[in-house]
Amino acid sequence: MSSNRTQNILLPIYVGLIFAFVFAPIIFSIIFSFNSQRFPTIPLGSFTTEWYVKILNDPDVWEAALNSLIVSVSTAFIATFLGFCTAYSDYRYNFRFKGPYLALILLPPTIPLIIMALAMLAWLSKIGVSGQLWSIVIAHSVLTAPFAMAIIRLRLHQMDPDLESASWNLGGTEWGTMRHVIVPFCKPAIVSALCLTAAVSFDEFAVSWFVSGLNKTLPVLILEIVQGNIDPQVNAIGTFVFLTSMTLVIVAQLFFLSRQTKSSI
Amino acid sequence: MPLPNRPKTTFSAYAMTWRLPIIVWQLIFFVGPVVFMVAMSFFLVKNYRMTEAFEFVNWSKMMSKGYFWDSYWHTIWIATLATVCAMCLAFPAAFALAFKASDNTRRWAIFLLIIPFFTSYLVRTFSWFVILSESGVVNAMLGYIGLGPYTMLNTTFGTLVGYLTLTLPLVVILQTVSMANIDKTLIEAARNLGCKPAATLWRVIIPLSKSGLIIAAVFCFILSFGDFVAPFYLGGSQEPTLPILILDTTKSGQQWPRAAVVAVIMMATLFTIAFTAIALAYRKRASK
Amino acid sequence: MTKPSTRNPILNPSRRALLRMGGGIALSAPFVSRAWAATTEINMLAWYGHGEPDMVADFEAANNVKFVPKYYAGGDNMLALIAQSPPGTYDIILSDAEFVQQLNLAGYIEELNPADYPFDDMLHADFQQFPGHWADGKLHSLILRGGHLGVSYNKNAISAEEAASYSCFWKPEVKGKVGHFDWHLPSLGMMSLYNGNGANLWDIDDAAWGDVQETTMGLRQQVGGFFDYGGTFNSLKNGEMLAMCGIGDWITGVLEKDGAPVGSVIPKEGGIQFTESYCIGKDSEKADIVKAFMQHMLSPAGQVKSAQMGAYPGFCVTKGGRAALIEQDPKEAARSHQMEGMSNDPIALINEGRIHYRDIPKQQSLEDWNDFWSEYKNA
Repeated sequence: MSSNRTQNILLPIYVGLIFAFVFAPIIFSIIFSFNSQRFPTIPLGSFTTEWYVKILNDPDVWEAALNSLIVSVSTAFIATFLGFCTAYSDYRYNFRFKGPYLALILLPPTIPLIIMALAMLAWLSKIGVSGQLWSIVIAHSVLTAPFAMAIIRLRLHQMDPDLESASWNLGGTEWGTMRHVIVPFCKPAIVSALCLTAAVSFDEFAVSWFVSGLNKTLPVLILEIVQGNIDPQVNAIGTFVFLTSMTLVIVAQLFFLSRQTKSSI
Repeated sequence: MPLPNRPKTTFSAYAMTWRLPIIVWQLIFFVGPVVFMVAMSFFLVKNYRMTEAFEFVNWSKMMSKGYFWDSYWHTIWIATLATVCAMCLAFPAAFALAFKASDNTRRWAIFLLIIPFFTSYLVRTFSWFVILSESGVVNAMLGYIGLGPYTMLNTTFGTLVGYLTLTLPLVVILQTVSMANIDKTLIEAARNLGCKPAATLWRVIIPLSKSGLIIAAVFCFILSFGDFVAPFYLGGSQEPTLPILILDTTKSGQQWPRAAVVAVIMMATLFTIAFTAIALAYRKRASK
Repeated sequence: MTKPSTRNPILNPSRRALLRMGGGIALSAPFVSRAWAATTEINMLAWYGHGEPDMVADFEAANNVKFVPKYYAGGDNMLALIAQSPPGTYDIILSDAEFVQQLNLAGYIEELNPADYPFDDMLHADFQQFPGHWADGKLHSLILRGGHLGVSYNKNAISAEEAASYSCFWKPEVKGKVGHFDWHLPSLGMMSLYNGNGANLWDIDDAAWGDVQETTMGLRQQVGGFFDYGGTFNSLKNGEMLAMCGIGDWITGVLEKDGAPVGSVIPKEGGIQFTESYCIGKDSEKADIVKAFMQHMLSPAGQVKSAQMGAYPGFCVTKGGRAALIEQDPKEAARSHQMEGMSNDPIALINEGRIHYRDIPKQQSLEDWNDFWSEYKNA
């Protein structure tokens, strides 16, 4: 009994410590972004918005943000489309070589980014599409499609298997059923997938750094500042990227929740 | 899972519309790069230009370098260390979240743990740089109680902190989910049959969540094994890991083929480890 | 700074006022549209900082161009980046002088017309005929600036007397606190100097190369890390590293201005000069405007900018540049000893024979040096 009580006291404290470790760098990064010192030390300097002013006035930052936006939105659509196709094929059909087929889409996340970066740059320059924003979009779509596939597949799993046949029996074609039954049913998952793939793409730096050539995305810009003239602009941009990604995640989460409440239909 | 009453006319235009895009896309943009990289490991470099060839010189060169093997074993060692640390550190927290917390708390906790994935890893690493430095936050706090300063940056400890920053949230999530999915009545049953808490943990909870735990460990290993940021910025490249070796090799005189050799060996290693681990997880479940 | 510059507006009071009023979002529109405007983009491959606003903003504004920089660290890295990109990708390349020859041999750069540039105004005869810049009487690269590498140290940990020799890296008190700039050439060059190879530091036979390796390995237990530009900076500033091998005033100069107790000296074994030169990329369609930019940077105003460059300083190579620096920024001129008669005037150091231009190994290949560097890092 007493061991149970100590457990009930110690475990929450332990969980708190783990969360402290996970959030310490995020919180300090936000603090440093308002700190006047170029090289932050303790005690902190004075409060300043200098770094934010600096990034807001730097056209390179805006251009990088725009690039990031283009890349992540394009990636989201391509990856979600690919993910949907694969999830639906897996849900509906049984066919030969299905194992390798699924492996084809699910394997990329198990390969370290630095290796993907190397392979992608070598291959994309070989076929002549390196050094452009589209190169990043291609690479990111490969990396994020599995996440889209997983989310949509989960949703399809919840669909009543008779729903599709019922539609056919009522005279609907396969295409009509897809349009009027399956896509609407998957809509929350599709939105979630769009947001999550966009968020992952928005924050990826290793592959982007290799294949982007002269087109910098925000994370690549951060990498360059860290490698170069390091200063708290990094934290300011990081805070901005954080807010953007979080917005996407929260939107995804809201759709995810609404999906759960509506799944009884 | 495909449904039994589904038509098997799998070669209709409709079916192909959904099946083909990913095949074409991944063949061109995933299989293509990986196969090309393997091929590239046999290419030659002359005057900073790569020429297509089929020579084993890059392989024999890398294999014969002492520093390659030092890096190799060091990377395996430190990624294993990170995996063990992450798994052990995460477990009590995941246990608490899975069994002690309410559903609502758990959902919030998992949501909070997703947040780090959307914060630039580079920025978080840069934060640690400041927190761990000799004049940093941790040493300042230790200073108040008369300890330190300790050197934490540019050490294996620094690298580990970086790896954990990357992997710990994921490991906690995966562990929590796999334990929360255990049928609670089984645990009740074990208790009612007089099983002590420790025994319940070892005999019931861990075996039942084994596959989830193994997947968590595998992902943790993969992420640590392939990360170049932590060992470079927090470890000071003191013991360069394979990803740093890849970067150094690509930087110096266009030695891409040699970098490809390192990459191919890394991939082979990862696949061996991942498949062994997953086979292990599967076997246990089959024997249930 | 009289020209209205959109790129460096922090110093611009009216914009600051505007910002206070309007906030960031109101400001965003003009900047985004500026990035989109039909300006000519000039792709630049350079060491960090050369494409930053303090260097290029004035020229950009005056000529309606925009520099798109890609940064590298180390000549081998530069060559690798060019080899990966299609010809004509880079319009202007800021190269380390010792790599110009390779650039030329590989056919990556255009020929220059010496009459376009102020060669008769150079501070030193060597700068007119810098090694590797001319081939068969043709000019391929234009010297921009230089800097000297020696012992960089934290003044609280190492005394000025100790810093007069590379042996201070072996001082027991700095064990684990000696850092390396993560590029083999400058660090190994210093080890070669420490071994007494003097002016032949790059031209060493295999026995001497073996000795250099041995000396370097002997330093390994003192070493606390290998850093890129940002890391070198940070770790010297926060005291994580107390001495740094492979760098010089280009790093400590910036930190000194920031109030850190660090400095660089040329030790008695001699120092190394890094020299940075502009080249025009092969098949660049913007060669004319690049030429104008290079002329601008060699003019007194451009030389002052280079000497004050925010990322890292470099000394002027023209007499006009030095005179303008002394007039406009005597503090920086004095700090970097660019006044006539100062004992450690960079030009005087060259004349005294204490400085050796950085070069690539003569009897070994770069690959050998690089291989050893990997081995050393792993030791």
